[in-house]
Amino acid sequence: MYITGTHLSRRAVLKGFGATIALPFLDAMAPAGRGLRADQRKIRLICVEMVHGSAGSSLIGARKNLWAPAGVGPDFDLAPTSLRALAPFRDALTIVSNTDCPSADPFTASEIGGDHFRSSAVFLTQAHPKQTKGADVQAGISLDQLYAQRFGQTTPLPSMQVGIENGDQGGGCGYGYSCAYTDTISWASPTRPLPMVRDPRVVFDTLFGVLRLSESPAERREQLALDRSILDWVQASTRRLQATLGPGDRARLSDYLDNVREVERRIRAVEAFSLSGEVREQPEAPAGVPDSFSDHVKLMFDLQVLAFASDVTRVFAFKLGRDNSNRTYPESGFAGAFHPTSHHSGKEAKILEFAMLNAYHVSMIPYVLEKLKNTPDGDRHLLDNTVLLYGSAMGDSNQHNHKRVPFFIAGHGGGAFKGGQHLKAANGTPLANVMLSVLHKIGVDDISSFGDSEGTFEM
Amino acid sequence: MIKSFIGIVALATNLAVAADPPNITGTWNMGLEGDHVIPVALVLKQDGPKLTGTIALPTQNAGNRVEVKLSGEFADGAFKLSGTIEGAKEPTTVAISGKLLDDGSMEGKFEMPGHGHGTMSWTAERLKERK
Repeated sequence: MYITGTHLSRRAVLKGFGATIALPFLDAMAPAGRGLRADQRKIRLICVEMVHGSAGSSLIGARKNLWAPAGVGPDFDLAPTSLRALAPFRDALTIVSNTDCPSADPFTASEIGGDHFRSSAVFLTQAHPKQTKGADVQAGISLDQLYAQRFGQTTPLPSMQVGIENGDQGGGCGYGYSCAYTDTISWASPTRPLPMVRDPRVVFDTLFGVLRLSESPAERREQLALDRSILDWVQASTRRLQATLGPGDRARLSDYLDNVREVERRIRAVEAFSLSGEVREQPEAPAGVPDSFSDHVKLMFDLQVLAFASDVTRVFAFKLGRDNSNRTYPESGFAGAFHPTSHHSGKEAKILEFAMLNAYHVSMIPYVLEKLKNTPDGDRHLLDNTVLLYGSAMGDSNQHNHKRVPFFIAGHGGGAFKGGQHLKAANGTPLANVMLSVLHKIGVDDISSFGDSEGTFEM
Repeated sequence: MIKSFIGIVALATNLAVAADPPNITGTWNMGLEGDHVIPVALVLKQDGPKLTGTIALPTQNAGNRVEVKLSGEFADGAFKLSGTIEGAKEPTTVAISGKLLDDGSMEGKFEMPGHGHGTMSWTAERLKERK
């Protein structure tokens, strides 16, 4: 730990054998207890992709406002839309509708029909993936990585990539496309896809520098039986730090460590269940992966908030699903499998069922927004300084097209996004234009194009 | 003199354009309307009334396709094509009928007798080939 007088370095950590826990921003880290100045605020970025487009991207769905609201500007009604769960956060919400992802379209005869095998690679790159099953994959650098490469170099981890479904299938996935295109949304360069981590335990251990000396299931069972938290490993370090802090910082540190302990407890509970011999819904999944979609997503979001609070990283790419997934979401109120449900035949009743799945997926987002809002970040809270992008490069999955793709932005990005807006793009506007403008607003302001952008988008 | 020459050339060009028979040679992004719209590649070559080409149909193994050679005729803006799926367990034929629409797109019917699909409608747009 590095403490000089009453001032604490932003990079101070709690250290114990086999664990390193970064700290949240404390008053002791700012001179004379002042909060972060505006120019010291760091924008956090979460890029969330959900596959299969949206019911609101179909002609009937668009007419019924199943994704985009009818009203534009500040006057819009979320009630009919799949975004209705975001109503408590409408002031932080910027909906951008009616954009297309033309780079996900086929460019040649052999690419026709391969939409599911291309879309995820397009979402954050807005570049057309090269059709190959080999190692010579090529798309484009993704938005999250452009930001991480510019602003992530001062944090212990420039960025992290996490996902919910199996994304480690290797080889070719179909229609002549490598599974790399389906497995990840994050590309460090046009030829370097980054793997997504599915196991919350791996994310936790990475964030807190946990050194695992044992990895076999038997040894993990023994560790679980010991019921020790990594906070136990840094007890002495924690006590020493607390003795130097004022009451406000002590409370803040205590809250933060409670959150770390709670997330760790939940991961351990999942692992204990997975290793108990009980029937699991996803038996192939790592032990730290919960059966429940919402439990899994919430754990991943909790880890992201902890990472932001401790400034271990400022960038996450989060893939909620996998193209062609047949996962079911009973908590949505509809039991149909995801991919077949997205093939709604253009029939209204089926489109409405698909909209239930879309609404359920979006309903995961308020959880993290609430957490961000309740997490101090200097003199503000994390929601003020975060940009969360949510969307898909697929539009109407029934048609396998990439028009009217679902997309919204949540958070204020350090004041860059006013929020409370529905912006409807002119027909034919590439989503890349919006992403270029997002990059400009979050500080990557010296690039003139992104993917297949044709210009910027006024926000 | 020059004006009338230009006028004659323009008239001749218009007549030539008007007289050009429709040609559906090229790559078409075809949407087969089953329980969902299945995008398939229809590649056609037209030589007068004679048509040849291929259609790439998805197989039961997700992500795989089989290419079927087609032949047929085009007349009065409408066409018929047929082909046989090679390597199928049972002899399987494909029959496609269609017409060119005023907006340059096509529509028609697709049949694969004996495979329980019945007659499927389809629409197609020319693929804007890009590199």
